[in-house]
Amino acid sequence: MSLFSLRNLTVAVPGRCLLHELTLDLPAGQVTALIGHNGSGKSTLLKVLARQIMPSSGKVVFEERPLFAWRARDFARRLAFLPQHPPAAEGMTVRELVALGRYPWHGALGRFGPHDHAAVARAMAECGVSDLADRLVDTLSGGERQRTWLAMMVAQEAAALLLDEPISALDIAHQVEVLGLVRRICHQTGRSAVIVLHDVNMAARFCDHVVALKKGRLVLQGGPVDLMQPSPLERIYGLRMQILDGPGGNLVAIPD
Amino acid sequence: MMARLMPFALLAASLWLWSAIGLLPLARWPAWPLDPAGMDISQILLAFGLMPRGVVALLAGAILGLSGAILQVVLRNPVADPTTLGVSAGAQLALVLATMLAPGLLDEGRWPVALTGAGFAAGLVLAIGARRGFAPVTTVIAGMLVGMTASAVATAMTLAQGQYLLSLVIWNGGSLVQQDWSGVRALAAILVFGAIAAALLARPLRVLSLGPEGASGLGLNVVLVRLLAVGVAVILAAAVSAELGLIAFIGLAAPALARSLGAVSIVGLLAWSPVIGAVILSLCDGLVLLVAEQLGEMFPTGALTGLIGGPLLIWLLPRLRGSTPPGTERGEGASQRRRDPVPLLVRLALGLVIATVVLIWIGRVPGGWAVLDAESFAAFLPMRLPRLIAAASAGAALAIAGAILQRLTANPLASPEVLGVSGGAAMGYAGVVYFAAAPTAIALTAGTMSGGALALLLVAAFVSRRDMPAERVLLAGIAVSALASALLSAIMAVGDMRSFQILGWLSGSSSAMTMQGAFALAGLAVVLWMVALALRRWLAVLPLGAGVAGGLGLPLRQARMILIALAGMATGAATVLVGPLSFVGLMAPHVARRLGLARPGDHITGAALIGAGLMLVADFGARMAGFPYELPLGLFASLIGGPWLIWLMTRPAR
Repeated sequence: MSLFSLRNLTVAVPGRCLLHELTLDLPAGQVTALIGHNGSGKSTLLKVLARQIMPSSGKVVFEERPLFAWRARDFARRLAFLPQHPPAAEGMTVRELVALGRYPWHGALGRFGPHDHAAVARAMAECGVSDLADRLVDTLSGGERQRTWLAMMVAQEAAALLLDEPISALDIAHQVEVLGLVRRICHQTGRSAVIVLHDVNMAARFCDHVVALKKGRLVLQGGPVDLMQPSPLERIYGLRMQILDGPGGNLVAIPD
Repeated sequence: MMARLMPFALLAASLWLWSAIGLLPLARWPAWPLDPAGMDISQILLAFGLMPRGVVALLAGAILGLSGAILQVVLRNPVADPTTLGVSAGAQLALVLATMLAPGLLDEGRWPVALTGAGFAAGLVLAIGARRGFAPVTTVIAGMLVGMTASAVATAMTLAQGQYLLSLVIWNGGSLVQQDWSGVRALAAILVFGAIAAALLARPLRVLSLGPEGASGLGLNVVLVRLLAVGVAVILAAAVSAELGLIAFIGLAAPALARSLGAVSIVGLLAWSPVIGAVILSLCDGLVLLVAEQLGEMFPTGALTGLIGGPLLIWLLPRLRGSTPPGTERGEGASQRRRDPVPLLVRLALGLVIATVVLIWIGRVPGGWAVLDAESFAAFLPMRLPRLIAAASAGAALAIAGAILQRLTANPLASPEVLGVSGGAAMGYAGVVYFAAAPTAIALTAGTMSGGALALLLVAAFVSRRDMPAERVLLAGIAVSALASALLSAIMAVGDMRSFQILGWLSGSSSAMTMQGAFALAGLAVVLWMVALALRRWLAVLPLGAGVAGGLGLPLRQARMILIALAGMATGAATVLVGPLSFVGLMAPHVARRLGLARPGDHITGAALIGAGLMLVADFGARMAGFPYELPLGLFASLIGGPWLIWLMTRPAR
């Protein structure tokens, strides 16, 4: 079963076509990376999948139901989305922010019950922010903040996570930490994730599946091994790259 | 561009010619050079009235267009202009103050006074804007706040001096009537100065359009260029204010039209905006002349330009580019947060009750202060209690509305005043005063509420658009306010006792409150508070932005609609009592947040209590400051609130 299935998806704004007749399937239960050069449409695609923007034409099916036929809260119970620049969450504690992840389950007026409390505690433990529970989010470091937002998504108990460049503002140690966390969350509980990434090496190391876009069209879809070869990389980025064998069996691409 | 402007220029010219020929057939026009000695009265009216008026319209339009273009370029803000930045209102206030307090100052001419006021207002707005990276929406909101405060003070002065009312109102409306050619000479000199300054500044401004970091990287003295450019724009706007009064929105319209007609470069914008400004103002003045001829009613031209400005702002909204760095429109920086807010809330509530009792008990008597004994307490209670309850409830309702709006838009400057509801309510009130033969209290209340509701509908129409960022709602509200105030000044310019009644209401009063009315208002405030508490989860999620809120399955459109409606009702109800301007809706949520009330429920409750307290104090002050006369309540509140708020916003971030 595929998580998302796209048929002739087109997104256009006046004067420009951001996504062009895109047809592809995203696998369930895997970590998928969306890569491509700046302006390739990868963020646009993610925003369509998260229902943040409307496609101009074409069909998108999420878990065998048309994407826009889902009710807002039902959809949020199945899919959690993190925008590229999460806001500062001024004046909110970590626990409160994570608890917002329960909104799809209890709504505006429903009771915040024992199951909700348990889900919040579990999510904080899973993402390693239990010790920070009473800290204010706007006093956290970048990595801690990103883990808090991840905990909010985990508390949502959704089967799919959509992340828009979750590591773009982090140093390399925190990049590895956050992506490792996403991978662990997904593989331990059978969740799916779709992540927009800039760095091919991070995509190859942490993701099971790669979708590459160029100028709004699909260039490549496959595993990390299919990606980490000179000719696909040149097709995606228009740049010659060398592939090195890392000591741990990881493939690493560097520009010529 | 020339070809597309031509029809409008021709139309403006023929409108002027129409009224000129209506005054005097072409054959009898006086010959150049003009010499009043050999003319009859119609020839003098033409040569020293209508002719300079036509030229003044062209010159003032050009000056305002240039001023707006410079401001928009230097602040990189497509909705900046002398009106939206409070510059014109500052000049107006200075002139009103000088007229009443020190007429001697005006002997030297009106210019120095107007320039001082305009410069002061511009300085304040820029100081507020600078702390927020000149984020367009925030800068304009600051400008509107400064402008509204200045207008409030000017209104207070006008009210205090009824005999000047008519001339001041007409001047406020911006009249182009001329008696000789001196205005033409003065404005021509200013336009020449502006043109030279703009030519000199064109290149530095082009570098500055890269943004402050990029520009200083290229060796530009950013602060100096900004100061010079804003200074020139302020001088231009103040000159028109001094000469003609408040002519709104030409400075906004001209560059906007220039841009949409294809002027992309900064030089093109600076060159075409004056031309377009001249055409627009001439066209407006031509229409005013036409109306004057047909109906015999002479409206100030500035009121008409305001009518154009509101819709124009609305049209511009969706076209505003997101040129702002993310995050600059919001946030005051980290504010402390109280671990256990309950004791504070209890103290606030207790304080409110004690204040109410004390305020009933004490009061001024001729020759001093008095504390009531038990007997007179019983006698005064039915008189003082309703107005205290009503004032507190109105304060609470406004504070709740403000807290909701600040959370909804994630903008700490959002407030009921800038939502446009107040402006709409004022329109409703004025409409009833003018069109009902004998307006009853119920009719006035109904008119006020429905005016507010109408404005709310307009604003809500924006919110329902999917891609409309919440902060743009504030601009829509400002547009509605501008429209309302333009209509209002057009109505008032007719000038009779009814204007005075409207002016009185605009500044708000609680003296005529009955017990029933007070309890109705209190009930409404309590209901609003409970609904807001019930929706506190929305109020927690919404400040995180549309992306997060949508991702959590929040029904964004409905939530915005419901919350806007709630805020609008609260504002409408309070406006009936305190008038359209008080700043309580802006201040109270701010204070609550500064006191460490961060969670939505605590924030709303705290804001409501503080708002009620503020309004009680304002009511007390309004009764006592001018004893035995009573000052208007809303006016008093904004006289305290406005300056305090501006001080708060110019303070360095912690």
